[in-house]
Amino acid sequence: MSLFLQIIANGILLGGLYALMALGLALVWGVLNIVNLAHGAFIMLGAYVAFYLFTLLHLDPFAALPLCMASLFVFGYCLQRYVLNLIVRAPMFNTLLITFGFDVVLTYLAQITFSADFRVVNPSYAGANFTLFGVTLPLVRVLAFAMALALTLAVWLILARTPVGRAVRACAQNLLAARLYGVDPRTVYGLTFGLGAALAGAAGDLYAVVSQINPYIGDPLTAKSFAISIIGGLENPLGVVVGGLFLGILESLTSLYVGSTYTDVVSFGVLVLVLIARPQGLLGKTT
Amino acid sequence: MKRAIAWLALSATVVMLPLVPWIAPPALIQFGTTTLLIATLAQAWNIIGGYTGYASFGNSVFYGIGGYGTAIAMVQFDLPFGVGILLGGALAVLFALLLGLPVLRLRGHYFAIATLALAEAMAGVVSNLDIAGRNIGLILPLRKDDVLFYELSLALVALATLIVYWISRSRFGFGLIAIREDEDAAAVMGVNTTLFKSLAFMLAGFLSALAGGVHAYWITFIDPVSAFDITLNVMMIIMAIFGGAGTVLGPLVGAVLLASISEVLATEISAMASLFFGLVIVVAVIFMPRGLADLARRFRSLGWRYFRENLRLHRL
Amino acid sequence: MKRLLFCAVAALALLDFAYAEPTITLGASVQMTGRLANTGRYYRDGYEFAVQTINDRGGVKVGGERYQLALKILDNQSDVNLSVRQYTQLLTQDKVNFLLGPFASDFALADSSAAEKYEVPMIEGGGASDQIFSRGYKFIFGTLPVASKYFESTVQAMSKLEPAPKAVALLYADDAFDVAVAKGTRERMQADGFRITQDERYSSNASDFSSLISQMKAAGPDAVLVAGHETEVLNFIRQAKSLNFSPKLYSFTVGVPTADFRNALGHDANFAFGMTSWLPSASLKDDYFTNAQEFAQSYQKKFGYEPDYHAASAVADVEAFVKAIEAAGTLDPKKVRDAIAKVDFESLYGRVQFNAEGQINLPQVVVQVLNDGVVPIYGQKGFQNKPVYPMPPWEKRP
Repeated sequence: MSLFLQIIANGILLGGLYALMALGLALVWGVLNIVNLAHGAFIMLGAYVAFYLFTLLHLDPFAALPLCMASLFVFGYCLQRYVLNLIVRAPMFNTLLITFGFDVVLTYLAQITFSADFRVVNPSYAGANFTLFGVTLPLVRVLAFAMALALTLAVWLILARTPVGRAVRACAQNLLAARLYGVDPRTVYGLTFGLGAALAGAAGDLYAVVSQINPYIGDPLTAKSFAISIIGGLENPLGVVVGGLFLGILESLTSLYVGSTYTDVVSFGVLVLVLIARPQGLLGKTT
Repeated sequence: MKRAIAWLALSATVVMLPLVPWIAPPALIQFGTTTLLIATLAQAWNIIGGYTGYASFGNSVFYGIGGYGTAIAMVQFDLPFGVGILLGGALAVLFALLLGLPVLRLRGHYFAIATLALAEAMAGVVSNLDIAGRNIGLILPLRKDDVLFYELSLALVALATLIVYWISRSRFGFGLIAIREDEDAAAVMGVNTTLFKSLAFMLAGFLSALAGGVHAYWITFIDPVSAFDITLNVMMIIMAIFGGAGTVLGPLVGAVLLASISEVLATEISAMASLFFGLVIVVAVIFMPRGLADLARRFRSLGWRYFRENLRLHRL
Repeated sequence: MKRLLFCAVAALALLDFAYAEPTITLGASVQMTGRLANTGRYYRDGYEFAVQTINDRGGVKVGGERYQLALKILDNQSDVNLSVRQYTQLLTQDKVNFLLGPFASDFALADSSAAEKYEVPMIEGGGASDQIFSRGYKFIFGTLPVASKYFESTVQAMSKLEPAPKAVALLYADDAFDVAVAKGTRERMQADGFRITQDERYSSNASDFSSLISQMKAAGPDAVLVAGHETEVLNFIRQAKSLNFSPKLYSFTVGVPTADFRNALGHDANFAFGMTSWLPSASLKDDYFTNAQEFAQSYQKKFGYEPDYHAASAVADVEAFVKAIEAAGTLDPKKVRDAIAKVDFESLYGRVQFNAEGQINLPQVVVQVLNDGVVPIYGQKGFQNKPVYPMPPWEKRP
């Protein structure tokens, strides 16, 4: 029984990490209708920023979070404002292709700049854990889970309550009308994409502590983030948390009962099923 | 006069191509085979993505199924190559039919994502099958006959192009184009959209599977990672789009051009090839999303303004 | 004026041609970029260093004439398909004389087909899987010890510990090398009377071992043997710490002897067991590098990082070619192939000799990380140093 509880706990914490990773992708997709295939590359970049801050300036990863997020925000904003904005009104498929192009270029540049050596961020508390009801909980993962919830809530608040958020939602709903009301869509799109990148940066920061970094970690993370965004549903920011938890627990249980080589089959199989049967996701409303 | 020259050039190329192995150095045969195979994939994608407007991001799933069908038939059951490749093709068609039906109900980028997920899921499934050699893959019997593989690839791309040519002139093709332009209107006009879409998907799958089978036998090796490679997916799409999706010769031109440049880079400055590839995608999507075919047609009237027009149309 | 220039250039060219050394070109497709580049670089640098040093010491003597070695290395970007194409290109277009192998068993498995197809010998130092050598191919030779025997010394050492571990968990990644390791280890453990509590295959490049670790914690094995890649082993150890899992012993096929691996883990690497077929000791004498210790020092100075058995294996490959070519007295691929099969010499890597299937036979030395350094524990002649067994649990570590 306690093994089962441990497995569920593992799944929940994994889910939290997944939700954190998927948040940026889901935001940009749900609001801007831009599917960012380079999302994993952004996470990878965030991880490297955290690594260099930790190694060169001895900055604790959690203290480095604002810096990671800020640097990725600027990067994302520029990318959207000066490159992606050029194809926003083209068929959706084009954004898939162009972000894939970004992914390839960023991975290559990372390989040249940082080399393929794997890096880790190993603060003193990296292996810390505590036990609750017979279940061992790694500290960093619990913090990542808390971080995911906090950031999701923050995103929701920004979108729902602030003027900037309202401008973003206006652009998403009706571009022309938003323009008529004086919203500059180029800046707004830039800010949103920047926010998505910043969230990826935060995920990267924590990922560096939990796992290891190299230029190629991006692609599997993008794929996972995809699955989570769709499964959870793109309309509601909380969908990412639900999707992440669902997938995390499912993968953990699969590993226990079926075999750990089946986790990919399960993730993508569920994704296909959700797309076919309930494309709006678990939290989406049926229109 | 110009048309006559164009036709002459085309016929000359068509006649010359099968003779390449006897004229060209062996390395060119290697390059030629790779290019022809990916040109086949680009043409196959053209059917479902270019003509029908259902941009599949997972055609590599058929490529992989074709390769595995051939490999399993040859390695596990000692069947000859001809049987193996037809088996792979048949499996792909079956798969396209069964999974196409639910997936083709999705529109736009959801369809793209679903096909992508299918490819990833398939890779996961295959890596757990003992008959497929699990994650290690299979080693096919050795066959040292580069000329054979070149001619096979040439035959495949010719087949694919002929099929696309036939599509461009048939009622079936018009139906596909109608679906691409406005599916609901097409349905209202009496086009059996489900049937047509499924047929297009199965056709694309069949051709991709054949290419996969030839490739597996040629390389003597197949494993889940290389068979269902997403980069291959994007390559065939970008070649079709670069050349001109929805045209007969566009994907061929795109494939040959991009493959040549990529090959030169890969041999000289190895890793630069992937950087080049990424940059081509970005530039092509921004400045010429309708491909070279469209560029060639409109450049005469618009000149360099063609690129600015594209920007103006699509920018925010 | 132009004429003069032309004559000058022509003269220089002729002179250069007259003094041009005949060369033997070795071709290789190595992972210089991509996910395996971290280990691929050992091969690139090892091959280059060997070729350069051999040339400095006079090159290769083929039937009375002196030849220089040349190297043509291509980057396969950690893509197996590209690797196969590149080997074919090296043979058909660049017309290299002989082939050096890539890193990793799955690459060697596919690339050896190119060598066999064109009947040109390939010596690879990066693929240990038995599968590579069990197909009856004649033109492939390998300098990594047989995969299925990787854990043999470790299992032997385990049965001699007090109190001997009884229940063992076996974890292995889903690729040619690790599956081969697991197969051999499983058979060995069953023969030696160990009880296998878990026999789990996991996806290559897995980053999350929480589920597997939790399952092991519940089953409580005495020892855990992991056959996987460096990044996986790294994740495993870190996650074992964060889930508070500490068996009496854990041993890994890769990572432990490598410096950057231990740097990444810091003190957490302590007490882990591993294995290596090579240690940079002065007792391993070499015709070109004096001995293994000298080699290691000059390698570090030249390339800026410590070599490990991958680099030594790469050097052994080049040396084996040189010895075989000199013995055969010709550059004919088939005759050189036969000479390679008979080669038998001492090198900085150890004794280079290939068995009937084409693989080298080197025993693994069991090592343990103690006080942030690698200590040899158990070799062919038994215990060399006392291991720390059982491993102290995480909270009790110094």
